[in-house]
Amino acid sequence: MTRHVFATLTLFFTLIALAACRNDATSADAASPQELRYAATKDIRDINPHLYTGEMAAQAMLFEPLVSNTPEGIRPCLAESWDISDDGRIYTFHLRRDVRFSDGEAFNAAAVKQNMDAILANRQRHAWMDLIRKIERDEIVDEFTYRLYLRTPYYPTLIELGALRPFRFISPRCLVNGQSKDGVRGYAGTGPWLLTEHKERQYALFTVNPLYRGEKPRIPAVRWIVMPDHQSIALALQKGDIHLVFGSDGDMLQQETFEALRRAGKHITLLSPPIASRALLLNSRQPFTKERGVRQALQYAVNRRAIVEGILDATESPALTLMASTVPYCNVPLETRDYDPARAAALLDAAGWPAGPDGLRRKDGRAARIRLYYNADNAQERSISEYIQADFKKIGVDLRIIGEETQAFRDRQRSGDFEVQYARSWGAPYDPQSYLSSWRIPAHGDYQAQAGLDCKPWLDQTVTAIMAETDEARRRAMYAEVLSRMHEEAVYLPLSYSRTRAVHVKHLHGVSFDMSQYVIPFEKMFFATGD
Amino acid sequence: MTLRTILLHRLPGIIPLLFLTSVLSFGLVQLSPSDPAEVALRLNDITPTPEVIAETRARLGLDQPLPIRYFRWLDAVLHGDLGTSYVNGKAVTAELRQALPPTAMLAATAAVIMLAGSLLTALPGVLRPGSRTDRLARLFLFLASAMPSFWLGLLLLQVLAVTLDLFPIGGMDGPASLALPALTLALPHMPAYARLLRAAMLRTARENFVLHDRARGLTPRTVMKHIFRNSLQSCLTALGMSLPRLMAGAFVVENIFAWPGLGRLCVTAIFNRDFPVIQAYVLLMAGMFVVCNLCVDICATLLDPRRREEAAQ
Repeated sequence: MTRHVFATLTLFFTLIALAACRNDATSADAASPQELRYAATKDIRDINPHLYTGEMAAQAMLFEPLVSNTPEGIRPCLAESWDISDDGRIYTFHLRRDVRFSDGEAFNAAAVKQNMDAILANRQRHAWMDLIRKIERDEIVDEFTYRLYLRTPYYPTLIELGALRPFRFISPRCLVNGQSKDGVRGYAGTGPWLLTEHKERQYALFTVNPLYRGEKPRIPAVRWIVMPDHQSIALALQKGDIHLVFGSDGDMLQQETFEALRRAGKHITLLSPPIASRALLLNSRQPFTKERGVRQALQYAVNRRAIVEGILDATESPALTLMASTVPYCNVPLETRDYDPARAAALLDAAGWPAGPDGLRRKDGRAARIRLYYNADNAQERSISEYIQADFKKIGVDLRIIGEETQAFRDRQRSGDFEVQYARSWGAPYDPQSYLSSWRIPAHGDYQAQAGLDCKPWLDQTVTAIMAETDEARRRAMYAEVLSRMHEEAVYLPLSYSRTRAVHVKHLHGVSFDMSQYVIPFEKMFFATGD
Repeated sequence: MTLRTILLHRLPGIIPLLFLTSVLSFGLVQLSPSDPAEVALRLNDITPTPEVIAETRARLGLDQPLPIRYFRWLDAVLHGDLGTSYVNGKAVTAELRQALPPTAMLAATAAVIMLAGSLLTALPGVLRPGSRTDRLARLFLFLASAMPSFWLGLLLLQVLAVTLDLFPIGGMDGPASLALPALTLALPHMPAYARLLRAAMLRTARENFVLHDRARGLTPRTVMKHIFRNSLQSCLTALGMSLPRLMAGAFVVENIFAWPGLGRLCVTAIFNRDFPVIQAYVLLMAGMFVVCNLCVDICATLLDPRRREEAAQ
């Protein structure tokens, strides 16, 4: 009897396996796949191009802007050319005549105006973008000419019009009573892809837009598969269930997994050029970090190279200035503050924080104790924090590291209740103009960290002036002044310049990076037969 | 004693419990340090300036005193309106309706696996306590209870999905995709039920009616059937509560296996602080425990003549 039971037990689990054993022939290793299978931790959600709830990579597949941001500068997209008035206030766009939305609707100046009006009807939601506040009115000049009037000159106008949202165009038929702020009827755009099927929290299927004016994608379909767990994504890649993983800062693949896949050599691993800055904010309103000498000392205390090599496996570059010199207007000569604990200690001594017998520095009975908050979901930030904790300990500063969930972390940014906190720049094409512009908003951690500086009013005024400056040379000089001043004030402790990562199967070709970290150029990818 | 009598006897206790559940569902979320108005704005990438926060507070009714907000919320809940998600503006009721069936299916399959597995691992201990099979079964149960779900899930994926290529990695696409998440969900729960069943069966095996069965010359299989049937009753409460427990505990498994259920909905809502969804989830789960408990009590009373008499008195 016992033997029978044991046999039944074995049989039971075998049966489960066999009964369920219907593994579809969807393996990504199939010889000529009809679809590219891409895994993401998040669903595409609502990809209304005028709102912010959807995944940007999916929005970019369907919806196009008037102009595109490229490494070579602004290039035509739906507008084939444009004129800017001498006073920098009027932009006239000459639209392409060969464009139709995927639902057959014509793309013309009327469609542009309807979209722009829908966007402007929801100004509050787009308030993060200065251009929204600058737009005075717009008009249709003729069927294929559209004009935008600004209240005051605003130099990043074209850059922001080329951003991922909200200035992208959806078929007027999809608007609800001419509006998009409360949802749209469909997702007909002018881009190379169509959203054919979407099962919430499961997958989205994109197929080629037959009405796309340009060269059509060579892959017939892209399946966006939602896999919330990083380990499962890695296993799916290993098994061949998916072809591509793409993302930055561990949002799709964790650093260790990326490294393991790179070492294994069974997949192609790619790294983009630096796309954004990772830094620490040193709050100028908190007791210890309010002193400039202290903030400068902390800059010398952190061994960035050890962090980049030890934790980030050299997939990022050490940063000694807030913005990389490759970012527009940011190639400014600044005194670098590389790892030099002796110098850090000397600066702390000079600031009146001598080391006590226990090694901890004190001033007027107050110990050099500070808190560093990081996003608890981000394992990388925790490891970096631990490195920094050890570095600070060497110079007699006690750093307490506290992981918090995203919303608590953001609450702290708004209230300024932190001494040290992580900050990231916005990446191309938003750096430097949109990122610097956000420094003026109290809800941002940058504002809170800068709020104790004597030069804060000047800083805000200068950033505002930069945005309206039409003279390129003067604008460049103003950027240099702001970046130099902020470097001197040492509110930012730069750590590294992050990069986007991609891992894909060997028979997938054409995987590349866009200027924006949020765009995945699926249309350039193709499967090579015979690989 | 009829079903109606049992219900009349039990319901007066259930209503205050459900009321308390609603107070806790509503109240616990209010303890969060984040301002719901600000959370709602941030989730939609609106810069939370003081004016916009004030306007949002008014729109969401957050400017009202807490008791008024609670009773408004309760009124809406009683009318089937669980509010609107801060993240996507969709009705929470619709979100739950969409996410509930996959989780229910997962939990039901896991419950079947759990029950069958519990029985099969408990039997060797009843038939031949201390035998090699019994020791093996106990080792298996020990390992199953020691393994955290996330680790077990990844292990099963590595072995059964990647190495042996028997199952897909994740998603909800046919029975193949259900097997691994259901097994992962069931295994850690199995040891507790197996031990419970084993103890109950051993206890029942010592009853006089079993001796009588054997004396009558009934086959061992028939005797075992009698033992099993009489043992089930003492495990009924624990077994009956397994379904809500499995549903509430499915979030780790759903995340690993990309299963589009309630757990994932709730985890996403927690990370986003999407308060209406969190409240609805807590309320639903608490309600499910209360209702399942009631059902178990009713079943136990109907099945056991002694309890029926007790209840009648």
